[in-house]
Amino acid sequence: MGDKRIELLSTSTERCFDPYLRCALNGAAQTVLGVKGCGTLTHGPQGCEYLVYDAFGHQDCDYTEVETLCTKLCENEIVHGGEDLLAHTILEAKELNIQALFVLTACGPEIVGDDIVSVCRDLQPQVPFKLVPIESAGFKGSEYDGIDIALDVILRKLVKDSKRKISSSVCLIAPHANANPTWMGDLEWVKQILSQMGVQVVATLTYKSTLNEIENVASAETSLLLSHDAGKKAADYLSSEFGVEQICQGIPLPIGMTNTRRWIFDLGKRFEVQGIAKRLVAEGERMVVETYRRKGGYFFEVARFQRTPAAIVADATIGIPLVRFAIEELELKPELIALRSSRPDAREILEREVDDLGISPKIVYGTDVYKTKKSLEEISPEVVFGSNIERHAIEELWTPYIFEVVSPMRRFRVIDKAYFGYNGILNLLEVVQNEFADRWRSKEKRYKARW
Amino acid sequence: MTEDDYIAFHGDLWQLLEKVEKGEMIPKTQASHAPMCKFMTAFFVLNGIRHVVPIVHGPTGCTLWVSNVIKRRECCESRGVPLEPTACTTLNESNVIYGGEGRLLEAIKEADKRYHPDLIVVLSCCVSGIIGDDVETIAHEAEKSVSCRVLAVQSEGFGGDFRSGYEDAFRVLMDLMEPPKKKQEKTINIIGARMGPTITEWDEDLDEIRRLLDEVGIKVNATMCAGCTLDEIKRAREVELNASWCYDWGQKLGDLMQERFGIPYSRTGQPYGLKATEEWLLGVARPLGMEKEALDVLRKETEQVLPELDYMRRTLRGKTVLVEVQDSFGPIRALSIARMAEEFDAHPIILNVHPYTIKERMPSIKYLLETGFNPEVILTNGVFRLGSYYEMSETEEELEMLVRNYDNIIYCGNSKRFPDCPVVNFSDFARRPHYGFQGIKNIATLIKETIENRSLPRSKLIREVLYGGYKLIQEREVPHGR
Repeated sequence: MGDKRIELLSTSTERCFDPYLRCALNGAAQTVLGVKGCGTLTHGPQGCEYLVYDAFGHQDCDYTEVETLCTKLCENEIVHGGEDLLAHTILEAKELNIQALFVLTACGPEIVGDDIVSVCRDLQPQVPFKLVPIESAGFKGSEYDGIDIALDVILRKLVKDSKRKISSSVCLIAPHANANPTWMGDLEWVKQILSQMGVQVVATLTYKSTLNEIENVASAETSLLLSHDAGKKAADYLSSEFGVEQICQGIPLPIGMTNTRRWIFDLGKRFEVQGIAKRLVAEGERMVVETYRRKGGYFFEVARFQRTPAAIVADATIGIPLVRFAIEELELKPELIALRSSRPDAREILEREVDDLGISPKIVYGTDVYKTKKSLEEISPEVVFGSNIERHAIEELWTPYIFEVVSPMRRFRVIDKAYFGYNGILNLLEVVQNEFADRWRSKEKRYKARW
Repeated sequence: MTEDDYIAFHGDLWQLLEKVEKGEMIPKTQASHAPMCKFMTAFFVLNGIRHVVPIVHGPTGCTLWVSNVIKRRECCESRGVPLEPTACTTLNESNVIYGGEGRLLEAIKEADKRYHPDLIVVLSCCVSGIIGDDVETIAHEAEKSVSCRVLAVQSEGFGGDFRSGYEDAFRVLMDLMEPPKKKQEKTINIIGARMGPTITEWDEDLDEIRRLLDEVGIKVNATMCAGCTLDEIKRAREVELNASWCYDWGQKLGDLMQERFGIPYSRTGQPYGLKATEEWLLGVARPLGMEKEALDVLRKETEQVLPELDYMRRTLRGKTVLVEVQDSFGPIRALSIARMAEEFDAHPIILNVHPYTIKERMPSIKYLLETGFNPEVILTNGVFRLGSYYEMSETEEELEMLVRNYDNIIYCGNSKRFPDCPVVNFSDFARRPHYGFQGIKNIATLIKETIENRSLPRSKLIREVLYGGYKLIQEREVPHGR
């Protein structure tokens, strides 16, 4: 990469920050809500429960099956401690038909020193379900830190050591981390690919995961991290503690033709099914080309963006692979890449990609809304891949196209569409095409019809 | 199953209020009822001021919830408000130990430099509250080195019920109100609004109020805080009267401004139906010496809704109207609708007004009782059940059972409910406004649509999605001839 323009924002140094990311409590809640047949109890004031509701929506939970409780701490418990109220609530929850109750702490009780671990340990004999305390105060970091905190407790407390490894097996880590409405579709695609390669998924951390699956995670031969934002610590723990080998490391996730091909080939090589991998790639690439030739019709709007300056403002999970997709598939020229997180391993992947592609965009790690808006003003791209936030942020700028591809977004709500893999490419192309059509739709009629 | 199996309280509002005052019926763990915290509601108020920069002195979670849900989803996406910042100091573990006052001071200066706001308001949250950061002193200090006013609201989430956030934010804003340079004649403030406006407060309702005031010749200085400006707040003391578009939210600010600045406050309920609309408009016009003009407007407007009034009276007379407190509106709105039903000779019953919300809204509910309105109230056991209370799923079955006990009943509330009786859709997106004379027309239409289309099927799909546990879709009867 020639002229490197990299900015690294950090919440520990920034004083005035307009955040994209929620807090650790939210990430921890999203993670435990992915464990089936369990309940969640937030030990905190009532407002913090809204962060759990928010996580609920990002984990594909069914409220007729999952209970979320809150101790609703008030001033009295902050002054005198809230352990009694926590104990009382846990005992009240006895009536619930659950296998485990995850007890999450918000900021307040952690600062005043409520010892949820002791409360859970003392009450464990009195309740018919497993109590899992997770100290996840919001001030401990972002939602990604919360995911790492929760995964750490889950792995340390629930996983049983396994001497026997299941041959050709994998544990999937942190598919839910970016909370994009597409992650469930992405996960489904990953599972289909693994299934076609004859690879068994021992557990997913976490999505509709059973306690039994989690207990058996150590029997997985390999782990596959499905996020560039969170979960690396869990993968490292599984490697060091149980010898679970990490695969597809150091490469972008499978969005776009090249990334998908590289990712599938890596899998094929590891599981010694290169033939299947080759076939999957060949079939997938052909499907994309033929489908788009047929469905794209005479529009082919995507072909009009050659060398158009673009910005990518996203989580790392989608943002990093999107760079190559934007260049190779759409012929766009990324001039700004602003990522919401700044994990060192993700930064390495992005910078390698940027070097390899021979571009020199401005890169912002750990961006906030202010930095994004100012960077967009400075770069003045014509195309932005971003979220609903950027849609509003660019209103006063001259930016004709905003492709709403990451959370928060107002579309993709019901059907689990993927960005990963070959259907993922078509889904992204559809977003581009629809936005293009919206951009050029006449907003006013020049004269009135007579009928 | 008898009523005793699912009814937790059956009496009138006075009796319920007495029980709540004695501390009865408030569940200790309250897991079934979690309204927003004080921090969130304080933010609601401040977000209704243009070009204000809120600085949340806390971690990112509290900040992102309010910026995502309130500012961006509700305001930017749905209500044409431009994107403005929601900053925070991102307090972390180190600040919890060593304090975050210095960080806050720098954040205020930075915000001034970056955003050029008209006003900066610091909101404390649980973390800064517990570690004892003195946000008020920091705001005061910071004001010396920035080019705008800086205020602070003590809004720790644990520090009070959700109502206290509104009240404290309004109280702090009073510091911005300057001594009047002149008196603006026949001018009022509409107070108690939030955000500009929120999901429970509708532009259309506000428009109807302003239309009626305009007809009478009454001007509005500011609607605080529904998209108002700092200048309007500064001039707030120049008006002759304050009026609220929701008695509950405006009451505290109205009382405080009366006490501190001597500005009278018109105490009236929400203008649902003819009687309450008359009370509302006359409550504003009389103190301004404009009763005659108001009566003329009322007469003219009433003539235009005579068919609707006649229809409502004919349709509701002798019926039981069950008004449920639910996600489209809270207890005050439910009571206003119930009062309107009584005006049209129906017998209203309020269903499932949570004792916790009675506690939070005590002054407003007492006011309504003092006006002589004391409706029957029923609370079902589901309200107290330990659980998440998503989509009120704990109480749907009880509602359906309850309705079977009445021959001539109409349900007013959320169209996501499925009792076997006419369901009048008062949900968020039903015809607006509901206030004033336009409201009478719209509510009459809602009732008419419900009654006339009673034989049309309700969506089994939606019911099964919302509440589960019912008849499976595959087991539905197939219509004849298919």
